[in-house]
Amino acid sequence: MPWLPKKSVIVPIDFSDDAFAALDTALELVADASHVHAIHVLPYMEVTDPGVIWEAIDDDSRRKHAEDALRERLADAKYQGLTIQVGFGDPGREVADYAASQKAELIVLSSHGRTGLSRLLIGSVAERIVRLAHCPVLVIRK
Amino acid sequence: MKRWYVIPWSACMCVLAAVVLCISAGTVDAQQTQGEGTAATEKAAASADAPAAPQAEETEPANPQADTWMGKIDAWFGKNVVTPIATVLFYDFGTKESLGTALPFVVVWLLCGAIFFTIRMKFINIRAFGHAIRLTKGDYDDKSDPGEVSHFQALASALSATVGLGNIAGVAIAVGQGGPGAVFWLIVAGLLGMTSKFAECTLGQMYRTVDPAGTVSGGAMHYLKDGLAELRMPRLGKVLAVMFAVLCVGGSFGGGNAFQVNQSLRALGQKIPLLDHESPDGMPWIYGLVMAILAGMVIIGGIRRIAATAEKIVPLMCGIYVITCLFIIIGHWDHVAGAFAEIFRGAFTPDAAYGGALGVMVIGIKRAAFSNEAGVGSAAIAHSAAKTNEPVSEGIVALLEPFIDTVVVCTMTALVVVITGVYDAQQFPEYAVLVERNNGAALTMKAFGDVISWFPWVLCATVFLFAYSTLISWSYYGERCWTWLFGPRSSLAYKLVFLTFTFLGSVITATNILEFSDLMILSMAVPNVLGVVLLSSKVRRALDDYWRRVQSGEIAPAKK
Repeated sequence: MPWLPKKSVIVPIDFSDDAFAALDTALELVADASHVHAIHVLPYMEVTDPGVIWEAIDDDSRRKHAEDALRERLADAKYQGLTIQVGFGDPGREVADYAASQKAELIVLSSHGRTGLSRLLIGSVAERIVRLAHCPVLVIRK
Repeated sequence: MKRWYVIPWSACMCVLAAVVLCISAGTVDAQQTQGEGTAATEKAAASADAPAAPQAEETEPANPQADTWMGKIDAWFGKNVVTPIATVLFYDFGTKESLGTALPFVVVWLLCGAIFFTIRMKFINIRAFGHAIRLTKGDYDDKSDPGEVSHFQALASALSATVGLGNIAGVAIAVGQGGPGAVFWLIVAGLLGMTSKFAECTLGQMYRTVDPAGTVSGGAMHYLKDGLAELRMPRLGKVLAVMFAVLCVGGSFGGGNAFQVNQSLRALGQKIPLLDHESPDGMPWIYGLVMAILAGMVIIGGIRRIAATAEKIVPLMCGIYVITCLFIIIGHWDHVAGAFAEIFRGAFTPDAAYGGALGVMVIGIKRAAFSNEAGVGSAAIAHSAAKTNEPVSEGIVALLEPFIDTVVVCTMTALVVVITGVYDAQQFPEYAVLVERNNGAALTMKAFGDVISWFPWVLCATVFLFAYSTLISWSYYGERCWTWLFGPRSSLAYKLVFLTFTFLGSVITATNILEFSDLMILSMAVPNVLGVVLLSSKVRRALDDYWRRVQSGEIAPAKK
């Protein structure tokens, strides 16, 4: 991986402070904020969820809410021009697919480091992204 | 959304159907040569090992299908699943010897919890009743509040999980096992349960999380973990939350699923010979397969419209059911006074046939809790979705749930069963077998046929819809708990096990299903009531603050 400013960097955002720290790291690796894509992945809703049953929420409204929340959080001037993306499904798979579709050169992410039983049962999104991605992945450990 | 799963899944179900058909064809031959049940012997052996399983040992007459493949699955289930769990969870602390009646730990726990909450919250179940109705009507709704659905919609969703075969079959089982006196305790438990429900749903709202997309996650596992962590008991909170989630998954396989299929099938079997367990040509498993396919279309296939229709129709079906019951009660108006006399007499006069006064009480409380789930903690999952800034307001709406479920709907079933006398072996010796085998829904069916010949068909439609909507709603509860434990990627595995239990519900005997369902659902109260008791000061403070603001007019109905 040549150590030159990147043209396309993907940063998965789960709204944690660590994720936004990873975004700041990504901004250091590019010439312009417009080369960074912040992606948030939402799980699909169960059709048995009361909100879905009563048609109070659907994927469009959720996408809009998530986009608004991302925009609000990234209102700072240093984030101007950054691409905001909201996907649905398994976060690991979605981030890797989005990176492939954008021909990304790098994915930057933070790992919260789940430990013990919950790591075994739930697994780590970071691990999945590393496994599925077609491009280099920079994992920032906390 | 990814809905392509439905194709391979339907193919799997077809293969399963074919396999089941082959096995059943094979075992019909075996049945003719094998003679009297090997499985029945196994069953006897199993129940002999189970001193703490109170009903299993007494009420298991020879099952007509004991030596078929269905009987074998049932015997295996009874021996390897029900008996070991019952030994631990229904431990009676030796009360069977000392008091003459087994007093299962969970029943005492539930009752004490409900009494404690009712006193601690100063009878909020009574004083907030009118306010609850106004909240549900939408007088205080504010569209800009965080959450997903209105108070009414949250209540309707929660009701579709609680109003099910527990109201139709469970109550008939209670009267069959405990006599008319059980009805009294059922209603008392329903009234007290209103406060348990209030407390747990308020906490469900307090500790829910709303994600950036506006989606809510809440439920007992959240308030147990986060609430107790606030009280500096993070370890206990985590243990209780995990325990709750595991049992809730179990409950979604049992009471919220297999029990519904099993009891609705017993009712339908009375009218549709093909589905009759007693008939030699009966193929009741077809019903299990149909239910599994219908449920699979929603929970795996993602067909929203079916789920929505089933859930939205529940309040209407409740209404129809209550009207039908009232019609039967009016048809026997001369028996009404006698029935009430029986209910009161039975509640306080020890009757050896029904296990004494204490035994009657245990049965009434068990069936009430099983039906309205107050203290169990499951409904907090649905109620946490309500749009509001005031957690207490949703708790107050939730207290209507045990009222509608138990004090109204269960009481209707109970009155019909008591008034028509179908539970009474002396009056109707031909129905005694239904009582013995815990075929509660079939017993209610007999009572319904008593007045107008086509009423049983109304009941058929009701039991089918109640069973299906409860199944769908409970699959949501179970799925929430499962993904809380194992992450969202394993949700498909949960759904496949869920559908397997839907099918098993048509194969396993009523007694084994009832026992398993009781174990799971009632045991959820162990972690839940403990957690809610520990957090009750927080609920009380919030309630006092809310109530003061309602009284002072600070919280006023929204202007329309």
